[in-house]
Amino acid sequence: MSKLLEVSNVRVQFGGVVAVNDVSFSLNEGELLGFIGPNGAGKTTMMRAITGVVTPTSGSILLAGKELVTLPIHSRVRMGLGFSQQLVKPFRNMTVLENVALTVGSHHTGSPLSALFKVGREDESTRARELLELVGISDAADADPSNLPLGYLKRLEVARALALDPTILLLDEPLAGLNHAEAHKLADMIVDLNTAGRSIILIEHNLGEVMRICSRLVVQDNGNKIADGDPESVMNTSAVRAAYLGENTDHAAA
Amino acid sequence: MLYVELLAQGLVQGSIYALVAVGLTLVYGLLRILHVAHAGLFTLGGYIGVLVTNATGSLLLALVVSMLVVGLLGMAIYRLCYQPILDKPPYVALIASIGLFIAMEEIYRIAFGPYGISYENPPLQDVVHIFGITLRLGEVAVGIGTLVLIGALALFASKTRFGTVWRATVTDPEMAESFGVDIIKVRYLNFFIGSALAAVAGVMVALLNNLVEPTMGSVPSYKALAIIVLGGLGDVRGTLLAALALGVIEAYGTIYLGNYLDRDAIAFAFLILVLMVRPQGLFGRA
Amino acid sequence: MLGLSGYEISLITSMGIAVIFALSLNLITGFCGQISLGHAAFYGIGAYSSAMLTKAGMPLGVGILGAVIFAGLVGLAVGFTSLRVRHDFLAITTMGVGFLFIGIMRQWDFVGGEMGVSGIPGSGLGKPGFMFLVLGFGVLTVLFSLHLKRSWMGYAFDAIADDEDTARVIGLDVSRYKLAAFAMGTALAGLAGALYAHNVRFIDPESFGFVESITVLAMVVIGGIGSVFGVIIAAALLSVLPLWIQFIDEYKLLLYGGLLFAMMRFSPGGLAGLAKQILPKKSSLKASGDTKA
Repeated sequence: MSKLLEVSNVRVQFGGVVAVNDVSFSLNEGELLGFIGPNGAGKTTMMRAITGVVTPTSGSILLAGKELVTLPIHSRVRMGLGFSQQLVKPFRNMTVLENVALTVGSHHTGSPLSALFKVGREDESTRARELLELVGISDAADADPSNLPLGYLKRLEVARALALDPTILLLDEPLAGLNHAEAHKLADMIVDLNTAGRSIILIEHNLGEVMRICSRLVVQDNGNKIADGDPESVMNTSAVRAAYLGENTDHAAA
Repeated sequence: MLYVELLAQGLVQGSIYALVAVGLTLVYGLLRILHVAHAGLFTLGGYIGVLVTNATGSLLLALVVSMLVVGLLGMAIYRLCYQPILDKPPYVALIASIGLFIAMEEIYRIAFGPYGISYENPPLQDVVHIFGITLRLGEVAVGIGTLVLIGALALFASKTRFGTVWRATVTDPEMAESFGVDIIKVRYLNFFIGSALAAVAGVMVALLNNLVEPTMGSVPSYKALAIIVLGGLGDVRGTLLAALALGVIEAYGTIYLGNYLDRDAIAFAFLILVLMVRPQGLFGRA
Repeated sequence: MLGLSGYEISLITSMGIAVIFALSLNLITGFCGQISLGHAAFYGIGAYSSAMLTKAGMPLGVGILGAVIFAGLVGLAVGFTSLRVRHDFLAITTMGVGFLFIGIMRQWDFVGGEMGVSGIPGSGLGKPGFMFLVLGFGVLTVLFSLHLKRSWMGYAFDAIADDEDTARVIGLDVSRYKLAAFAMGTALAGLAGALYAHNVRFIDPESFGFVESITVLAMVVIGGIGSVFGVIIAAALLSVLPLWIQFIDEYKLLLYGGLLFAMMRFSPGGLAGLAKQILPKKSSLKASGDTKA
């Protein structure tokens, strides 16, 4: 198994506060990795370091052997890092289909000048419709996203991330805010994507679903990695139990 | 003594900027609106000040009436103009506000004539000598008046219960609302106080220039916008510092750079330079 | 010629220039969502450039080309500024650029200082000929705007206008798109400015002040941000109404101010938004660059 993403000794510090303390972990090809931790564990900060919203104080993040740390967000995305955001943010001036089709056409939009000379969106719309079917929201293709329920929007985020045909799919709390049935359904879909060959990192609070679908877990607490391994044994380590003891795991915010 | 004199002039000018800009920054903190029409209220404050003084002979009465009327009008502007469009993208309120400001200036022109009005017996024109520099009584009054008002505002904001609620709301409206703050009441108060301060500034500028004209709000409006950006948008302390700093920089700049740039251009050159280095403003948090 | 009086020809010419100018801002504010409160500065840079070049003996074509290039280059520089600041900060910064431009022009003797530049050469095409030149450029500008809106660049602009952060997440190089918008929009403003200079033959700093920046913004906003046809109609109306009716010229600013306010307060989508409300629906694909951004 080759390592697709390799995070080594990443440290993020805001002023005197260390949010992520020399954390290392990796994602292997074809894996569905759960990245978990109690509230305030620095999970979101770690993810932001990978996506490029936050610049690490030190450390390295390799995607298929290439260093990401110095690159802006859009370059990381174009190198194959697809991600869905915790807060769903569809473009409200487009339909659901247009939201996805724009992303499908990312080969047209690499440079503004060449984008100016390209017209026609039929192929992209077709592919976008397929993706909407894949995540199960094709009935809302022509809808205005501002009027859709959260369950649809979460899946729109996933479809949009998939539209880039990413090497790695980074899903930041896709289940947050969904009811039990919706969360279960979306989790199943994530498994399907993984089975179809997609390598995925899932940051989640919903421990039940994470335990059910992930093949490996990385646990972070107080900015430190405290466990890494298969779900059963990870959840049985004393450090993880201590971290979660008394923690309210329902909260969405991290 | 030139340096000291320039400093004093700069601080007087800066005080006026501060009085206008504080209201603007408070509105921004609460509603994320660039309230350009605020400068129209400043102009109206000047008009009321001159009209009431001329009618009654009392500058103090004029000041009170002006603050009251303009404060209430500020509340009305919030209710009638901004509240219905708060959920629209930010440019909507900005452009509506610019439109309102232009229309207000035109209404003043039509109502009071294009050439402006003056005090019949201009008050506070005597000259005083302090620390070896010469100032008009009016300029001293501007400096002291600003200090007193801002001081009172700071006291109100830090020592009273409502003040605490107000500060919390300006810092983080959503958070305050989730704690059960009646956010609408805070907004009304906010517009009343901000507008009343602008009215004071209008009366004072009328005093210093002995003239109120329809377009007297234009320059302060642009400047006040620059100031609240320099101050870090929504940050009251930053705004006060930026206002004084800009007043002083303009005073020196006009002497030393006057051959290359006029006063307004100096202010904006300073603004652009600062934003290139600190995009969050001089005193804004990163 | 064509049965048009000299007066009508000058009306149409002014209208054409206003349309080009308004569409130039529409590229930046309407398509890309970047508010500019200092767009008249680039109109001014174009006017001054072409005026000075042609006064130095260059032919009209060189003057216009110089205006486009020079305004576009300065616009690119201001675009870099825009990358540092966002939203409300950007609006104030561009307003600052406008004041800075006026301030420099007032003090700069080489371009006439406060006195401005007079004796700018005409087009040499006669009044009708110049009108056709303006209309020609106008048609090209309209076609370009329509094409841009349909292209993938326009698609990407829609995303950036709505939410920059999310645009980055789907792999758009937001900075380069913004620079492109500024460069194109300001270059086009330079073209409009050059045409203006050769039309009126006299320019001074006050011709390109804050009021002009607001006027052109009014055209874009009243037309309906991002809507090409809405902006054309608004620009045509707002530019000739004051010339047409003396009464309106007197109260021109009150009209602009009142219209801007009323439009935003009651129909933030502008004329295009109004039309969409009134006209029967429904074409399923709504126009991109919608006003709901």
